[in-house]
Amino acid sequence: MSKPRPPDEDPLRPHSYDGIQEYDKRLPNWWLFTLYGAIVYAVIYWAYYHAYGTATDDGAALKSAMVENTAAAARAAGSSGVLNDETLWKLSHDQTKLAAGKVTFDTMCASCHKPDMTGLIGPNLVDNQWIHGGLPMEVMKTVTEGVLAKGMVAWGPILGREKIAEVTAYIMAHHHPGEEIVKVDAWIPPGVPAPLPPPAPAPAPEP
Amino acid sequence: MTTTATKTTIEYDDTPVRQFMIASIAWGIVGMLVGVLIATQLAFFQLNFNTPWLTFGRLRPLHTNAVIFAFVGNMMFAGVYYSTQRLVKARTTSKFLSQLHFWGWQAIILAAAITLPLGLTRGKEYAELIWPINIAVALIWVVFGINFFWTLARRNERSLYVAIWFYIATIITVAMLYIVNHLSIPTSLTHSYPIFGGVQDALVQWWYGHNAVAFFLTTPILGIMYYFLPKAAGRPVYSYRLSVVHFWSLVFLYIWAGPHHLLNTSLPRWLQSLGMIFSLMLWAPSWGGMLNGLLTLRGAWDKLRTDPVLKFFVAGVTFYGMATFEGPLLSIRPVNALAHYSDWIIAHVHAGALGWNGFMAAGMFYWLAPRLWNRPLHSVAAANMHFWLGLVGILLYVSSMWVSGITQGLMLSATHENGTVLANPNFLDAVTSTMFLMHIRALGGLMFLAGFIILAWNIWKTASGAQAVNGTVEVFVEEKPRAMGLIGGFANAPVIFITLLIVFAMGWGALPRVASGLCLWAFLGTFMGMIAHKEYTKATWGQWYERLLENALPFTVLTAVSVFVGGIVQIIPTVIIDTAENIEGVRQIPYTPLELAGRDIYVREGCYNCHSQQIRTLVGDVLRYGDYSKMGESIYDHPYQWGSKRTGPDLAREGSKYPNSWHFFHMRDPRQISPGSTMPNYPWLFTDRTDIASLRRKIEVQRKLGVPFKETTQAEIAESCRVQGEAIVADLKTAGAETTPDRQIVALIAYMQKLGKSEVVAPEQKSAHPKTAAK
Repeated sequence: MSKPRPPDEDPLRPHSYDGIQEYDKRLPNWWLFTLYGAIVYAVIYWAYYHAYGTATDDGAALKSAMVENTAAAARAAGSSGVLNDETLWKLSHDQTKLAAGKVTFDTMCASCHKPDMTGLIGPNLVDNQWIHGGLPMEVMKTVTEGVLAKGMVAWGPILGREKIAEVTAYIMAHHHPGEEIVKVDAWIPPGVPAPLPPPAPAPAPEP
Repeated sequence: MTTTATKTTIEYDDTPVRQFMIASIAWGIVGMLVGVLIATQLAFFQLNFNTPWLTFGRLRPLHTNAVIFAFVGNMMFAGVYYSTQRLVKARTTSKFLSQLHFWGWQAIILAAAITLPLGLTRGKEYAELIWPINIAVALIWVVFGINFFWTLARRNERSLYVAIWFYIATIITVAMLYIVNHLSIPTSLTHSYPIFGGVQDALVQWWYGHNAVAFFLTTPILGIMYYFLPKAAGRPVYSYRLSVVHFWSLVFLYIWAGPHHLLNTSLPRWLQSLGMIFSLMLWAPSWGGMLNGLLTLRGAWDKLRTDPVLKFFVAGVTFYGMATFEGPLLSIRPVNALAHYSDWIIAHVHAGALGWNGFMAAGMFYWLAPRLWNRPLHSVAAANMHFWLGLVGILLYVSSMWVSGITQGLMLSATHENGTVLANPNFLDAVTSTMFLMHIRALGGLMFLAGFIILAWNIWKTASGAQAVNGTVEVFVEEKPRAMGLIGGFANAPVIFITLLIVFAMGWGALPRVASGLCLWAFLGTFMGMIAHKEYTKATWGQWYERLLENALPFTVLTAVSVFVGGIVQIIPTVIIDTAENIEGVRQIPYTPLELAGRDIYVREGCYNCHSQQIRTLVGDVLRYGDYSKMGESIYDHPYQWGSKRTGPDLAREGSKYPNSWHFFHMRDPRQISPGSTMPNYPWLFTDRTDIASLRRKIEVQRKLGVPFKETTQAEIAESCRVQGEAIVADLKTAGAETTPDRQIVALIAYMQKLGKSEVVAPEQKSAHPKTAAK
């Protein structure tokens, strides 16, 4: 290691531009190392993925990763209890599950179903009219798979099984086993006049 | 060589310098003010004022264009006009061209400031200006180029200083990038469709976008650094050979790096890899510039205590070093997976724009003002205050955006249950979690703006009442030595060897096996030949290079060639391939007339400033938005709308996700549907009528571009719009939403519901479709 010299002893290049002069110092070694290192890395990267190897197809790699994830999740879920109408009704009395379900409902569902579940864009969930079935497992299925044609999102991949169970429990807490279930075809939002009945048959008299 | 020499005095033309400097300060304040406003809009949506021309989507392009082209552009011109004259010892050749350049550029900026808030846009980032303004920009740039090269031709300094090299690279490259990325076919005086679509448009856009940063915000400012920093420090430049190495490596490598803006998207993987590895190789050349700046201060560091000019320069160059380290880091694919679409990128660009460009501009202005008006700076204390205010402002801004960006990236990609379920399914969680950081960033921006207003006051006090002076110099006008000429410039060992090495390296990388192997051997052979040649002939390439520096034309051509290589390799193969054959098995279904009208509304409102349309090949993206985007799904999109930021969620598969009424209520008041949303309200979409009349011409242009629209009449278009509009209106009515088919909201809903609609194409079926290559 040579002793650092005061900068003024360095040789200057002969030329001066508007009074600006230039030293001609050697390139710092660490700087050259980053330059050559990056070039070598680039060559190896290109050789490994493109010139000799094959770059993995990002889409295919993603798909296989997600299949593995799903399998692992299924194995993990195997131990977490069976869900059926009975266990869901039970969950609907579990205060911690209901609290968790309410949080999810308020953030994800309330924008269409309203926080009090009386329906806005999506149907009312506290009356006894159901379009896709009103039993706990049927509700859970609707939430999981969605009703894409009507704009109900398939929440399965977004929320996961546990959160959907909680939300279902929270909805079912507004109902009770054995309640009457009326099957309807569509949801008519509030403020919209009900579609006029077909003119031909006279309205049935009230019983 | 010199036979006769006559002594003469030259008076420089510093009028354009003063003009550009004042314009830069004025537009800078406007650009930063708009920046502070839109930053605040992200914290308080109410500041969109329910007014079309004040919404974020229209003002963000105004902010970026004003800062890039008006603030930095004018600053760059001031620096170039001042330093070039002195570095070549010649007065700027044409006063007329200087004035045409100045007033033309201001007219362009004014036109931009009017058209962008009106929603007249091309819908591509930093390339939003409409086509008549594009033509004006190209013409004025040529005026600048002529004036510059004409001055070089009349120089009294034989050799070209490194600052001039960077100016040459700037002028050549910006012209090339600007023209290619703005190729469009007009549909009216104020509207056009770019000739590229989908993935091609994305590639061309970021080839341009990245190199706008490189050759508009970096190379000219490096040139300015090489003049003003040694001047201010009174010290020689640290290393000439570092200048040579970092200049050539920078201009050659930079142009390749554009695809790093499109990592993990449906851009072909080989282009993604090129973008990443060239970005990594750019690290050292960029730091070469920083080193030459900072180390020039050896022996002058004490001046930093007293001289505000050097404070700004040192901080500016340091921010340059920081941003150019961060850039390669962000280009690494896994890092990019986290950072892309997030505020981290906003932090990165502002480290560059505020730290590098803003501080280099301030340093230069404080140095120039006393010399341009021959009076000491009005207040050094105020300049120091500006420095500290600005520095703290940048740090607040950048650090808050780092935290915000990494938070967003982590929250939006986090999963539960073995990567099968999103941890934060509600996108808004990421918005509300980073909300307080939006306040801090707005405060940081405000501080930076306040500092700049102090600068404006300080310069105004310095200049007002003072006599504007032009610099003079005594030169010996020498007879010109014999020029090298183009042949002499190229037919020599260094150019031949380097060219062969680059050609063989590319051949190794791109050609199939056998040819690739041959290229590898040819590369090694050439390398050995080069060593042998140097040993045998004792040739010193330094002498050749110094002779090249005395010859502007071959120098310029060599610069142009090294810049063009990357563009040719990346752009040409991608734009000439038959797009119909490269769709990954799915093909976008072309828009109906009403959907096309809705898309133009989407572009007009600048939705792409906050919403991407590109689902990356990442678990988090696919769980949240659906299957990853394929190349074929945007082939008919002129312009592409992949976006670069997710302030709101991705919309690539938004179609059919929600009912029409969801969009209706959401566009009227996003918070009614999504509590906590920061999206503006769009009340005018419910009153304004959709422009049906222009559709025939628009469809005609799209047909020319290869989009398979049927030939159609205005009556058919109107009928198609009416039928589709009425169906949407009828559906909306069942949900309690009242409107009429001619409203813009109906067209926009039609477009939103079309997003992500494509058909599966069996391999053998591909060619049955009409050729759709956009060539």
